[in-house]
Amino acid sequence: MSDAPQPAVEIRGLTKDFPLSLRGVRLRAVEDLTLEIPRGCVQGVLGPNGSGKSTTIKVILGLLRPTRGTCRVLGRDSNDSAVRARIGYLPESPDFHRFLTGRELVRYYARLCGVAKAGREARVSEMLEWVGLTAAADRRIGAYSKGMLQRVGLAQALVHDPELVILDEPTAGVDPVGTADIVRLILKLKESGKTVLVSSHLLAQAEDVCDRIAILNRGRLIASGTVAELVGRDGAMSLVVEGMPADSVGELRAWLDTRGWRLASAGPQRSRLDDLFLERVRKAEEQP
Amino acid sequence: MSAVASSLSRVGTIAGNTFLEAVRQRFFIALLVLAAGLLASTEFLSEFNFGASEIKFIADIGFGALVLFGSVLTITVTAQLFFAEIESRTALTLLAKPVRRGEFIVGKFLGVWIVVLIFCAIVTALLCTVLAIRESEILAADPDAGEALVSYGHIIAAAAVQWVKFGVLGAITLLLGSFSNTNLFSVATAFLVLVICHLQYLARDVWERGGSVVARIGAALLGLVFPNFQLFNLGDLVTSGEPPGASLIVRVTLYGIAYIAVFLALASFSFRRREI
Repeated sequence: MSDAPQPAVEIRGLTKDFPLSLRGVRLRAVEDLTLEIPRGCVQGVLGPNGSGKSTTIKVILGLLRPTRGTCRVLGRDSNDSAVRARIGYLPESPDFHRFLTGRELVRYYARLCGVAKAGREARVSEMLEWVGLTAAADRRIGAYSKGMLQRVGLAQALVHDPELVILDEPTAGVDPVGTADIVRLILKLKESGKTVLVSSHLLAQAEDVCDRIAILNRGRLIASGTVAELVGRDGAMSLVVEGMPADSVGELRAWLDTRGWRLASAGPQRSRLDDLFLERVRKAEEQP
Repeated sequence: MSAVASSLSRVGTIAGNTFLEAVRQRFFIALLVLAAGLLASTEFLSEFNFGASEIKFIADIGFGALVLFGSVLTITVTAQLFFAEIESRTALTLLAKPVRRGEFIVGKFLGVWIVVLIFCAIVTALLCTVLAIRESEILAADPDAGEALVSYGHIIAAAAVQWVKFGVLGAITLLLGSFSNTNLFSVATAFLVLVICHLQYLARDVWERGGSVVARIGAALLGLVFPNFQLFNLGDLVTSGEPPGASLIVRVTLYGIAYIAVFLALASFSFRRREI
């Protein structure tokens, strides 16, 4: 018997069809998908719109039943409602009860998840603070911005301290500042040892936060592995050298040639546009 | 916490949230306007004095308003609050928690039933107030009319039985909503079922008089599938001077509760199969 820890999610040969008409016409949303998500890992599920990401997530959550194949979550069948007490879920473009305040919403989900009454209020406040919504906690959700909705969605997903956190397009429609906040929260989840499944079609963002990536297209798995396995180039290395004058590149190239290596590219290092944007916005906000 | 206590806690939480949604989304204002309208119409009637029969007239109007507005309210609020969860996809987040489909259905039902209870209580309280005012005026004008013209206990019991009937109607609406795709379809079909339930006794009479085996089986099935809503109209007995006995009230209440249980079980089964 293997001593390897049981994966957080174990999908075997999953196929999901949706009936389109009474004449038996069906849409195949996911086809023969096999995927394992190890515990404590941040797994990205990437793919264009309609690739089967959300359908796969709904099967994991027991909201949809597989047409064929099996899905086990934290060692239990995904249709077992009890296992959902150990899962936190943020849906794509979440819409919550607009008549509730942020605090009431998180409290509502805490009660549904069986968070003990004794520590419930403290836990609700802690989660609202964790996502940076303490100041807006007592405002109606109808008045929240898109980024605030995502953050209150994260608070409700995490209020019961789940082992597995599933985030479906967590940054869809959110501005770069809100996106950076959400990325930071995902990295905090990773540090705390949670298993995180993030679905996205933003590739650079997934590369920044994920340990492993699965790429779906038209319901089929077309690539899967660690980020390094998928995007690394064999035998190539990237160096960032500080303080080197531009006219020394030739000298460096010559030295590399003497070792039998080849300098493939060299040039001034550029910041990424989103890093520049965030830095400028933060500086502007710091000014009185 | 035991599994049953956890389940009841989740049902109570969903019911409480459904009730809060109805209160905050101005359904209650509509209720109060309807009740105030009823009060205003009976005040207009007090301009005339046609003796003790006026009491029956006012009670008939009160029960008529209760039945009509209560039915409209039950169907529309049940369908609205159920489909609001599906269409705004809040049901996705909710059912991704350790909530069973049956708990969702029962929680929604109880939340709406509490809303309808408050509507029934307001309308009944207004009706009793108007009756008490007119009763005292009539008795003051005609000391020979008797000691009491109104049996308030029976009026409250008849209104409570109507509330049970609204429970049956709410459960039917949830059953329809559990498999239909639109709010409009559920509402329209629920009104059709309401009419059938009110008239099914007529169809049964006609079919049973037909005498054939097929007609009798058809009548029996009709009577089984669709509850007879005429049984719940105890207000007619109250206003006709033949107040219902406790045994009848209990039997009708149990009849209604049995139908609520069956329709909720069917709605839960149907909703379990629904992919959202």
